[in-house]
Amino acid sequence: MAQQIADRRDVDFVLHEQLDVAQFSAHEKFEEYNRKTIDLVVSEARNLSIKEILPTQKIGDQEGCHLENGQVIVPEVFQRLYDIFCEGEWLAMSEDPQWGGQGMPRTVAMACADYFNGANYAFMMYPGLTHGAGKLVEAFGTDEQKKLFLKNMFTGKWTGTMLLTEPGAGSDVGALETSAVKNEDGTYSITGGKIFISSGEHGLVENIIHPVLARIDGAPAGTKGISLFIVPKIWVNPDGSLGEPNDVVCTGVEEKMGIHGNPTCSLTLGGKGQCRGLLLGEENKGMRAMFLMMNEARLLVGMQGFCCASASYLNALDYARQRIQGKNLLQMMDKDAPAVPIIQHPDVRRMLMTMKTYISAMRSLLYYVGFCEDMKHVTDDEAVADKYQGLIEVLTPIAKGYVTDRAFEMCNLGMQVYGGYGYIREYPQEQLVRDCRITQIYEGTNGIQAMDLLGRKLGMKKGKPVMDLFGEIQATIARAKKVESLQPAAEAVEKALNKLGEIAMHMGATAMSPKVLAAFAHAYPFMDASGDVVMAWMLLWRGVVADEKIKTAKKKDQDFYEGQFKQLDFFVRSILPITIGKMKAIQNTCEAAVEISDDAFGGK
Amino acid sequence: MEILVCIKRVPDTSENEIALNSAGNDIERDDLVYSVNEWDNYAVEEAIQIVDRVGGSVTVVTVGDDESEEVLRREMAMGANKGLLLADDAFAETDGRGIATILKAAVAKGTYDLILTGALADDGAGQVGGMLAAMLDYPFASVVNKIETVNDKTLKIGREIEGGNQEISEISLPCVLSIQTGINEPRYVGIRGIRKVASVEIPTLAAGDLGLDAAALAPKVKRLDYFVPALGKGAEMLEGSTEEIIAKLLEMLKAKGGLK
Repeated sequence: MAQQIADRRDVDFVLHEQLDVAQFSAHEKFEEYNRKTIDLVVSEARNLSIKEILPTQKIGDQEGCHLENGQVIVPEVFQRLYDIFCEGEWLAMSEDPQWGGQGMPRTVAMACADYFNGANYAFMMYPGLTHGAGKLVEAFGTDEQKKLFLKNMFTGKWTGTMLLTEPGAGSDVGALETSAVKNEDGTYSITGGKIFISSGEHGLVENIIHPVLARIDGAPAGTKGISLFIVPKIWVNPDGSLGEPNDVVCTGVEEKMGIHGNPTCSLTLGGKGQCRGLLLGEENKGMRAMFLMMNEARLLVGMQGFCCASASYLNALDYARQRIQGKNLLQMMDKDAPAVPIIQHPDVRRMLMTMKTYISAMRSLLYYVGFCEDMKHVTDDEAVADKYQGLIEVLTPIAKGYVTDRAFEMCNLGMQVYGGYGYIREYPQEQLVRDCRITQIYEGTNGIQAMDLLGRKLGMKKGKPVMDLFGEIQATIARAKKVESLQPAAEAVEKALNKLGEIAMHMGATAMSPKVLAAFAHAYPFMDASGDVVMAWMLLWRGVVADEKIKTAKKKDQDFYEGQFKQLDFFVRSILPITIGKMKAIQNTCEAAVEISDDAFGGK
Repeated sequence: MEILVCIKRVPDTSENEIALNSAGNDIERDDLVYSVNEWDNYAVEEAIQIVDRVGGSVTVVTVGDDESEEVLRREMAMGANKGLLLADDAFAETDGRGIATILKAAVAKGTYDLILTGALADDGAGQVGGMLAAMLDYPFASVVNKIETVNDKTLKIGREIEGGNQEISEISLPCVLSIQTGINEPRYVGIRGIRKVASVEIPTLAAGDLGLDAAALAPKVKRLDYFVPALGKGAEMLEGSTEEIIAKLLEMLKAKGGLK
């Protein structure tokens, strides 16, 4: 039987051959995670994903979530699954063991997340958001708050959410209206309504911890007056026991295009004036705190989208190998020629090649961001830690915005390979398309990601993170140039990188000029071109590694390494020329989109 | 109770595209993904549950090579207390009788009340448990799907027999049991378990350590051929979409009187 969800050989390649993740075991923090342990961990994550999580994907989609008498009913199969998942302690893989984490390198946790999310990411949102909410408590909570909440969250005894969005405050969080009034006992009374809350209400666990953004009465308008609160569904007494329900009421569950297994809730806080919250961090510093969680959530969203694409690719590949339809093109004139598996048709191969290439590059990028996180933790040198933090920040909009855009395109191709069957619910491809689509929208739309890259990340720390990224790419190009067979690819990537540098300077300058609106109308194509160059970098890096390994490789590995060279060639010659064209278009910085009057759009 | 569970590293059939080797007498094993034999995994779970109830320890043992250590470690992460690797070039080509001989020598190195094997492994022979029991002169029961501990001398065991009937027997300890899948629900391995065994040294014993002579392990059963049988008369592969296949099947069942 063919592999499902994620190609294990490729996962192992990125972990061990590209990033040498076992190197982290030389450091005290990660000493348990030697090669054998890493392999065992990934095998078990995969085992659990294939045997338990994947079979719930379709059921979760079909059953969906419903609001009944104020209670949200989630797919029945999720209860056992959630319990098994938490028993294995997979929820907080890379967190501090003191609080119930498992102290694993982030890069390894990425590989596990690859399998878990690819198996059913609507389910994985319950533990995923819990982890993110726990991180907030860990970073900004008092000792007492950590004792009360953190272990119960990292072990999955309670789940967590993220309450930002309101009907009038979506992309503009600063417009939120939920209010907080300080009580005599130091708690705050919270009043307001929140929408689009994933895992906002369910009965999988006894309590749900909501980190809530609200404005303390009298605080400044906009994001500067926002504070963060812990609002439990059931109040938690100082001794850790559960108190009364905390007046957090689910008033609706959205009907969505995908991720049906996860309830997207509307929550009313303090509808009866009885909702209390605990200040998390400092007053009016809530947005800064929330960004910590949002950045992690953005990387998770990149992973969610990517996993749909990876699963779709392996399904499509298996289908193309088995589905017999049409003659081989070279035997078209022979009326007795047999029908062949569709993988023999050039256009199907083009689709599979496109999918394979992007999925390889995206996997490398996502794991690399995890690798940067680990590098940050194992160094004592502050400058090195700063460098890796800068790389994470500059790569985050690409790992979210660019990756989910490409992931959706790949899911679409995965459906196309199936022909008519791809559109039919009996097969898994259409669900992956539907599930994947939201990843381009939530956690900051991809337009917001592009603005983040151009407006914040490009000029941050006087451009040092971007220069560091360019430096890393150049280092790979230099390695590749030493290999004769890789020289043409290395030169093509270098040309694209130089062009990107030129465009970045142009965009930076334009954004500071009166043409600022035209610059931001090109933020999205700029993110797109930057993402292409990062993809090219990852594929070139893979090529360099494959060149070192292929000489002594076994038969099956020879095929794998050949795949690395072919996908590099494909990207460099079939896609990178388009990137150069995209960059030329950005250079034009056409002002039509911002100059056209609202009325000239027509439709009135 | 001291329990020894004999396990085997086998190609994971859910993972691999199986291809025959060029000699045509085996499958191509070079590039396969391996895991622990499914039956053995049930046996280990059963052993862990018995020890949870009555105390003692579980040792997992395998005959293999260095790479087999991964399945021992995996089962230890699941909850087995100790691992034992039996590895020697002399073991590589042996047959079922040879494996039982090696295991018998390992049993003599410890004091075990109960020895479990999987009912079958990838070769489908199901022979090692029975032969091991005979060599040890221990009582043996095969395809066991239920175990109850009566006291430290006796177990009550169940087996499914012809026609779906269930049989319950009493068996004296020490004994050898071959375990059927479905006897329990094997637990999943969590990260904590893996971390616990990450740096545990697993002892390895070679032929010399076990007092075995390589000549005694020379195989007396040799596989001559290995192939996928050709479709026989009366066999028909239904083709088409699932709906089409179901429709054709219903039609055939009706036509042949299977459905009215």
